[in-house]
Amino acid sequence: MINNRRDFLKQSLMSAGALALMNAPRLSAASDKPPMRFIFMHRGNGLWPRVCVPPSLDAKTMEREKRKEAIDVDLEGHDLPKWLAPLALHKENLTILQGLSGKMCTTGHHSWCSSLGVFKANERLSSIKWATVDFELAKLFPSPAKHIELACFPDGGGNARGSLEGIATGFSARGPQQPNYAFGSPRIALEELFKSVSTDPKARTQYQLDRKVLEFVARNEGATATLLAGAEKIKVQNYADSVESIRERNLKIDAMAETIRRHVPKLDAKYLDPAVSTFDRQVGHSEVLLGALISGLTNVVAFTVDELGHRYTGIPGIEGEKVNMHDVGHNKVIGGLKAETIRELARTHHMTLVDRIVKRLKSVPEGGGTMFDNTMIFYFPDGGETHHSHGWEYPFVILSGDKARVDLRRRYIRLPNYGQPGHSTLGNFYTTLLNAYGNPIEHYGALDTGLNKFGHGQTGPIKQFLKT
Amino acid sequence: MKWDPNSFGQLWLGVLIFTVAVDVASAAQKKPVFSVSSETTELLESYCFSCHDADSKKGGIRLDNLEVLALKDRLNLLNKMQEKLYLKEMPPSKKKAQPSDTERQQLYQWVSAELGKHNASKFKDKLRYPSYGNYVDHEKLFSGEIKDKPFSPARRWLVSPRIFHDRVMDVFRLEGRERTGFATRQFSGVKNPFILPEHSGVRDYDVTMLDGGHLLVMLSNAKWVAGKQIFAARLKTDEKESLLNSLSNKDRWYPKVTPVAFEAIVLKGGSPTDDEMMAAVQEQFDCVLRRKATDEELAKYVELLRASIVLSGNAEGLRQMLFAVLLESDFLYRLEFGGGEPDEFGRRKLTPYEASMAISYALGDRSSDPGLLLAVAGGRLETKEDYRREVERLLADESYYKGPVDHKISGKNMRSHETTHPKQVRFFREFFGYPQAAKIFKDIERSDGYYQNPGRGTLGTPGFLIKEADRVVDWYLQYDKNVFENLLTTEEFFVYHDKDNETGRKIISEWTEAYERLKDTDWKKNPEGVLAEHMEFIKTKDSLRRWVPEGGHQRRTFLRFMHFFSDTIGKGRTPFTTVATSHGYTYHHSTFYSLPPTPHRGRYERVEHKNFKGELEEAEFWDYPVEQPFKISKRKGLLTHPAWLIAHSSNFHTDPIKRGRWIREKLLAGRVPDVPITVDAQVPEDPHKTLRERVESVTNKAECRKCHQQMNPLGFPFEIFDDFGRYRLDEPLEYEEHLVAKAKKKNGSNIYKTKSVSTQGELRGTANPNLDGEVSGPFDIIDRLAKSERVRQSIIRHAFRFYMGRNEMLSDSQTLINADRAYVKSGGSFKAVIVSLLTSDSFMYRK
Repeated sequence: MINNRRDFLKQSLMSAGALALMNAPRLSAASDKPPMRFIFMHRGNGLWPRVCVPPSLDAKTMEREKRKEAIDVDLEGHDLPKWLAPLALHKENLTILQGLSGKMCTTGHHSWCSSLGVFKANERLSSIKWATVDFELAKLFPSPAKHIELACFPDGGGNARGSLEGIATGFSARGPQQPNYAFGSPRIALEELFKSVSTDPKARTQYQLDRKVLEFVARNEGATATLLAGAEKIKVQNYADSVESIRERNLKIDAMAETIRRHVPKLDAKYLDPAVSTFDRQVGHSEVLLGALISGLTNVVAFTVDELGHRYTGIPGIEGEKVNMHDVGHNKVIGGLKAETIRELARTHHMTLVDRIVKRLKSVPEGGGTMFDNTMIFYFPDGGETHHSHGWEYPFVILSGDKARVDLRRRYIRLPNYGQPGHSTLGNFYTTLLNAYGNPIEHYGALDTGLNKFGHGQTGPIKQFLKT
Repeated sequence: MKWDPNSFGQLWLGVLIFTVAVDVASAAQKKPVFSVSSETTELLESYCFSCHDADSKKGGIRLDNLEVLALKDRLNLLNKMQEKLYLKEMPPSKKKAQPSDTERQQLYQWVSAELGKHNASKFKDKLRYPSYGNYVDHEKLFSGEIKDKPFSPARRWLVSPRIFHDRVMDVFRLEGRERTGFATRQFSGVKNPFILPEHSGVRDYDVTMLDGGHLLVMLSNAKWVAGKQIFAARLKTDEKESLLNSLSNKDRWYPKVTPVAFEAIVLKGGSPTDDEMMAAVQEQFDCVLRRKATDEELAKYVELLRASIVLSGNAEGLRQMLFAVLLESDFLYRLEFGGGEPDEFGRRKLTPYEASMAISYALGDRSSDPGLLLAVAGGRLETKEDYRREVERLLADESYYKGPVDHKISGKNMRSHETTHPKQVRFFREFFGYPQAAKIFKDIERSDGYYQNPGRGTLGTPGFLIKEADRVVDWYLQYDKNVFENLLTTEEFFVYHDKDNETGRKIISEWTEAYERLKDTDWKKNPEGVLAEHMEFIKTKDSLRRWVPEGGHQRRTFLRFMHFFSDTIGKGRTPFTTVATSHGYTYHHSTFYSLPPTPHRGRYERVEHKNFKGELEEAEFWDYPVEQPFKISKRKGLLTHPAWLIAHSSNFHTDPIKRGRWIREKLLAGRVPDVPITVDAQVPEDPHKTLRERVESVTNKAECRKCHQQMNPLGFPFEIFDDFGRYRLDEPLEYEEHLVAKAKKKNGSNIYKTKSVSTQGELRGTANPNLDGEVSGPFDIIDRLAKSERVRQSIIRHAFRFYMGRNEMLSDSQTLINADRAYVKSGGSFKAVIVSLLTSDSFMYRK
């Protein structure tokens, strides 16, 4: 032991050998624990808080609900709202969470990345402040594809206006000013995500060509870098390494070919048809999502189930209509169906998708349980409480597997109302998720300037949800 | 050996090369060993251990047990030592025993060598970054004692977002109207992979490097661009129908001509010849990298092209080759390595082509203009005089670089200010940092309902304020005399001013004439009759053309105008030259200059309604100055412009620390260390104190004062402006217990008890005893700053960084001194500064 500077001077001149041993690298044990999976399903046109309330709550609790006071009840013994009936079998895993505000987001008709990133996205690239929460979670649970985004793009107004059949700017963000790309149709998603095992000769050729170019670029840039030194070398080497890492990722995907091949979604022709209805498009996307998760291509999926600017087709009873969801937001009767009915039909269909996902994941064995044990699904509105939302409320329907690290199972929760002590925002909720899964961030998301005057503080996780 | 901080640069390079060598050979070598020579030991004994041994451990730091620390901890400590030694912050100046220059350098070299063994020096890397620009000794830089020959390191400099966009236009060889159109439009399949950092001060440095994020974006960009490059040629094949059908509504554009060398391959029936393939590769190199491929490159790319064609046919194979060239890292970097034989100082002059690009990118976002290219071809871009001739020519050219200052602030109701040389304005907007106002979100109620946060399709109030600050900057740049002093002290500003002075005068003259003619008619009760009676007169006035019947809104429009005139002309005031009920009207920000408000559109929208009683309630409105810029009282220079004041505020209150720090760093070339990570920088709540008092209650503590005295006394005078930029004498205590009255209108402000604002401050650091000292308020400190030589030199240093893309080194001393002299000699011309910088050795030579 060295206690003073004399010892230091003596030892510093003769301690080389010992230090070499002291600095031996630490071995890190590889983990075979299954990763967590996260599915963010968001939809446009708002989600009314009133339709998320279990109808069987007692009168006293209903009064509290009306006054938007805090509620936390066990869902056991309670009826679910009718549109949530497809989830009845999964009540053990279900939480309806109400009372989160998001006034720091862009609200109203179109909110783009706002509700996933907790900032005002303003439909402007420069407004994207940071990676959206799904990307932050993807960093914690890496996978070959890192993150996959699927969307029923708006084809009318609003951002992100993508081609229904193409790959276009999505609703998630990879980092500041870096919007992600989303697959607009099950067909394009299938082609791109599973191209390594495609049976289509044209796709296989394209796959080989892309591989060839990447190999070429990696070699080319690597050769340039070797001729340089210092900072200039790093500038090129960094780029060459990035190309190389994509190649390595591709190699990993190639090595997983057998697994991927087994889980390539088997979609009927109608789901691949460019004229696929919205309802079927959503089913197709759900199948792609399942294929990507189960094959291990990704652990995080963002799924824009719909957006206000998306013109719906395939709604039961008015299948032939191309329904403008903005009109629905303004309570118009379309094809003889009331707007509220159309809303309910769409929501119910969304829940059948969630049911499909949960059931399938529950059928995949993993780590002594099922894949669903390590999964969380979030269904929520991108703009808030209604068509012309202000961000007062973002209701969430959450499905959590047994091994989720947040305490959100079989409950109906209403958090204290805006401005009240204990009130929470989207930022608090995402901070909870990130903290629970290993990102110690103090607070995720922008702050709400309007909340400040209440003086209750608005940063940090929602502690009651964190499992101790 | 004499202590020469300038030799640090060479030392770092040595360390770096050493490190690289170590890396390469690391597999075959032992782990580097920590060692201290007996000479270094003596120095540590003499100057360090008295405070930093096991007994004293000042600041929790021990230096006598370095070798037993974990490598990571030791390197952290050595990094701190390196910084303190370089900045001469240790031993503290109050210590009598100070090392000589030679001893200090010896210690520094030892620390650098130890860090170099692990390639772990953070400090040497830090010094290249914008926030470390002021670490170079200001006095030494301008002392004249440094005689080193200036140069810039040979480098790759990542293109800026604007230059990237311009390069994509170059790939497509866009010209004329199509190019002008794309100056403010994006290509639907191209996402800009680059982001400049968001902070006050110069943002575009040569330190940024390509990474995986850039690559991901470039992969999809390159694929799209390559496809478009040959689209027109493919339309000449039997693919035409399917290709046209594949175009989506959002992506219909394609260049109408495919380069001949590409078209030859696309349209060829069989495999292309070697010559055809070589021509295509050379063509793509010319489009993308603006140079010819070397023989080696040619061979590689032809091989790729051939293999790709075998796999997928001519068109697809060609597309893959085009795609690969677009992924060359050199497409995304500006290359400045110099050429020819090095001079006696080891420097190489930029090649004429590099020089043409460097000059053009310094003055705008476009690559070389035809004049520069002619100069290159004619061997007339070699000497300083050649550089001067071209720079002066381009500064006088009013069209080549003309464009919006920042197209990103344009929105549905407002367009960015346009000027002949937007990049000059951009230097000052980066320097002052006022565009950051758009990042601050405010509680609208606190603004009495006038503030509009950035929203969908608009940057709201900060957007207008940023544009108006841009106009002030451009105004003084066009004037080009005493530019720095004028920007710091001007009392004249642009507010609203959506029409030039002449147009504005004409409108007001017509409106006044019309109002005087019609005010005593029965226009309220019989608008149709009055209109009919005076229609011939009305038709002679351009500004009243909306009164001429063209639909069903004539009556409504007339009534709205007349009430608007009654509110303004009728009360002896000049109205704003756009009527409040115009489509998309969003002018509500005059109050942030402490000017009276202008009417809201809702005031006049009801005047046509049958229930309207005929009279509007009395209200005070702004007497609009048509001639602008115009004088605003209690404002002086850009530091009192609401855009700057908001940018240097928080969401909830003013930020005297941020304002003070800006002055210390940007105007006084000073340094303020980052907030130590152990400090939780919070201003305590106290309902009985002003913000200043609350700030002082924490920053006056001994452990905080050392840093805060560099900032707070400079920022406190600006407390006379609130966080919206409004002038005030009293600060509302915005706590429930001080509520006097609730707001009387929607989104209005509550009224709270107030407390006087103190604007006392202190200026230290101008190195001029006549200027340093206590200051009474913002105008006092601004006047002193504007007279300071140090402030002028500090702005010159920032201009250097902007035009060179890097921090200054001591060896740039002559360049800076010359630029400063050019400014003074020319009577404060910023153009003279630009010419001086772009003809300097720092700009022309690489090493």
